[in-house]
Amino acid sequence: MSDLVVAPLIVALLTAILCLLIRSRSQLQRGVSLLGGGVYLVAVGLLFRAVRSDADRTLVYQVSNWKAPYGITLVADDLSVIFLALTAVVSLAALAFSVRSITAAGQRLSYHPLYHFMVVGITGSFLTGDLFNLFVWFEVMLMSSYVLVVFYSGPEHTRAALQYTVLNLLGSAVMLLAIGGLYATTGTLNMADLARRLAAPDAYNVAVAPVLGLTALLFCVFALKAGIAPFQFWVPDAYRAAPAPVAAMLAGVVKKVGIYAIIRLYFSIFAVVTIPTGTGIEIGGQGLWIGTGAWSLVPSTGGGTFLAFFGPIILVMAVVSIILGGIGAVGRDDLDGLLAYSSIGQVGFIVLPLAVAATASPGDQLFQLGIVAAIIYSINHGFAKGMLFLVSGTVSEAVGSLKFNRLGGIVERDPVLAGTFFVGALSLIGVPPLSGFFGKLLVFDVAVTAQNTVGLIVLVFALSGAILTIAYLSLAWTRGFWGAPSESVDQVNMVPTLVAISAVLALVIIGLGIGFQPLYDAATDAANAAIDTQGYVDAVLGGTGA
Amino acid sequence: MTEVVLAVVLGLLFALGTFLVLRRDVVRVTWGVTIISQATNVYLVTMGGIGGSIPILGHGGGGHGNVTDPLVQALVLTAIVIGFGTTAFALVLTYRVYQEHGTLDLREFGHEEWDGVNR
Repeated sequence: MSDLVVAPLIVALLTAILCLLIRSRSQLQRGVSLLGGGVYLVAVGLLFRAVRSDADRTLVYQVSNWKAPYGITLVADDLSVIFLALTAVVSLAALAFSVRSITAAGQRLSYHPLYHFMVVGITGSFLTGDLFNLFVWFEVMLMSSYVLVVFYSGPEHTRAALQYTVLNLLGSAVMLLAIGGLYATTGTLNMADLARRLAAPDAYNVAVAPVLGLTALLFCVFALKAGIAPFQFWVPDAYRAAPAPVAAMLAGVVKKVGIYAIIRLYFSIFAVVTIPTGTGIEIGGQGLWIGTGAWSLVPSTGGGTFLAFFGPIILVMAVVSIILGGIGAVGRDDLDGLLAYSSIGQVGFIVLPLAVAATASPGDQLFQLGIVAAIIYSINHGFAKGMLFLVSGTVSEAVGSLKFNRLGGIVERDPVLAGTFFVGALSLIGVPPLSGFFGKLLVFDVAVTAQNTVGLIVLVFALSGAILTIAYLSLAWTRGFWGAPSESVDQVNMVPTLVAISAVLALVIIGLGIGFQPLYDAATDAANAAIDTQGYVDAVLGGTGA
Repeated sequence: MTEVVLAVVLGLLFALGTFLVLRRDVVRVTWGVTIISQATNVYLVTMGGIGGSIPILGHGGGGHGNVTDPLVQALVLTAIVIGFGTTAFALVLTYRVYQEHGTLDLREFGHEEWDGVNR
């Protein structure tokens, strides 16, 4: 039964290889590519069902039957499958979109193999239970995305790709440094084993203070992948340079890999660790405390948990992302740029509840609620932003420009496309009954439940962020879609297939909002899976403590 | 003794890499990134402990006492292969940047107008 865990990985890998082999037969290649995307969706669906009907709710696959912690382990639990489901749906839609929107020459140019290799990397990152393996999957994902970003190879594209590549190569080096250090201090790379050793540092002779520093280093890498401030600057250029379906994948799914890694590692693996007293800067023995509980101005004060250290950092990063992304988006004069900046702001909204959760102790209800909010917001943002990038791709395909001064009046030329954009925008703003409403509601709910200084800060910035979201999306709507058709819009026809694909995703968003309960249940289970460190350890290591 | 030498070498490599990454010339930036990733590989090797005997026991008569950790060497092999691919891509990209912009100086890169047309 647990063989099912590798199914999505194998499907994506086989599709990629097959697409590479039949590169010369363009029609066939497109068919195989689409079919592969469909089978991937089915495989993920089966895995989703298998995990949810499993007694432990965790399926473990030991690669080549090398038992953890010696071999590489693939783990599928509620947390991984919910992100896999998002990947499957968004990637199939983006794939269908690219079959029509990428030129024939472009498709011959290895677009499909690259796309599927990117999916392989994403899938592996969600499934792996091994730190070094996570690095390898990250590289698989990034290598393909480098080429996809530079796909059109114009001057702007090479510049954006250079920036993106150099930054991520540096990120990879830093990640390797952190992983090597973690291996040297803890003596293991398996995540479950790591959790077990860190829970009893004395028994396994682990020095906790260096682990804290190394995890902070690792955190920078995940923040870079997720595009959280201050690591956000590569986002706008890379998203604008990439073909529309690739931008949809980068914003919708690849960003969530960073978020997933943060939740998995910091909220389940490292959450249990207590920083030994006497670490870092202490002023007056207590550190400079503000607010209540575990919040201190000097984060590395001893005695707190790892999360209490990361909490304030995540909070500042989230707040800066929201404001920076929001203001950046308001100032854009093209649709793609606006959406890219909006991505920075929306990721801020995703990590904001995580910052609140970090203030609570792992057993607390607030801890769980924060993770639930982050997951639901991620899922909603994945669908909505993915769809909005597809809409902008459709517009750019037909009109040949995304500058607002050349757009306008699309609502009269193509009401369906405009309606699709409207749904996506409303979902990002958070209007009921769309899924975005529940995402926003939960973020505010978390802030109110916290009832402390942090909650107040979160509330203030979430509100201003929400207002900024309304501002830039209504700007995009009025300048790009509303009003009388501009000269360049009036003469063109949108490609019906492309419009239909975006419309399908819009229906998914509406469906998720109206039938919200299953998504909420799945997200709650995912959060519980993240919290249940012991269950994860038992499932991976067989509960024997070997 | 080896540890001290290696630590100094690592420090120098990282310093050199950082210095190169901060240059204006794209080629130097690429070299800087390459040097940093190679330095990371060396660092990874040192994580397994230096000065132990060969990791594979029972072959060639080695393997007494303190054994070097073989896992880090496997990790480094993987990292080297990945690094090889990324370096090749970075160099090709550098050449392409030169073709597109006619310069390798980061400050002379024109900031082209984005109009969302992708072909």
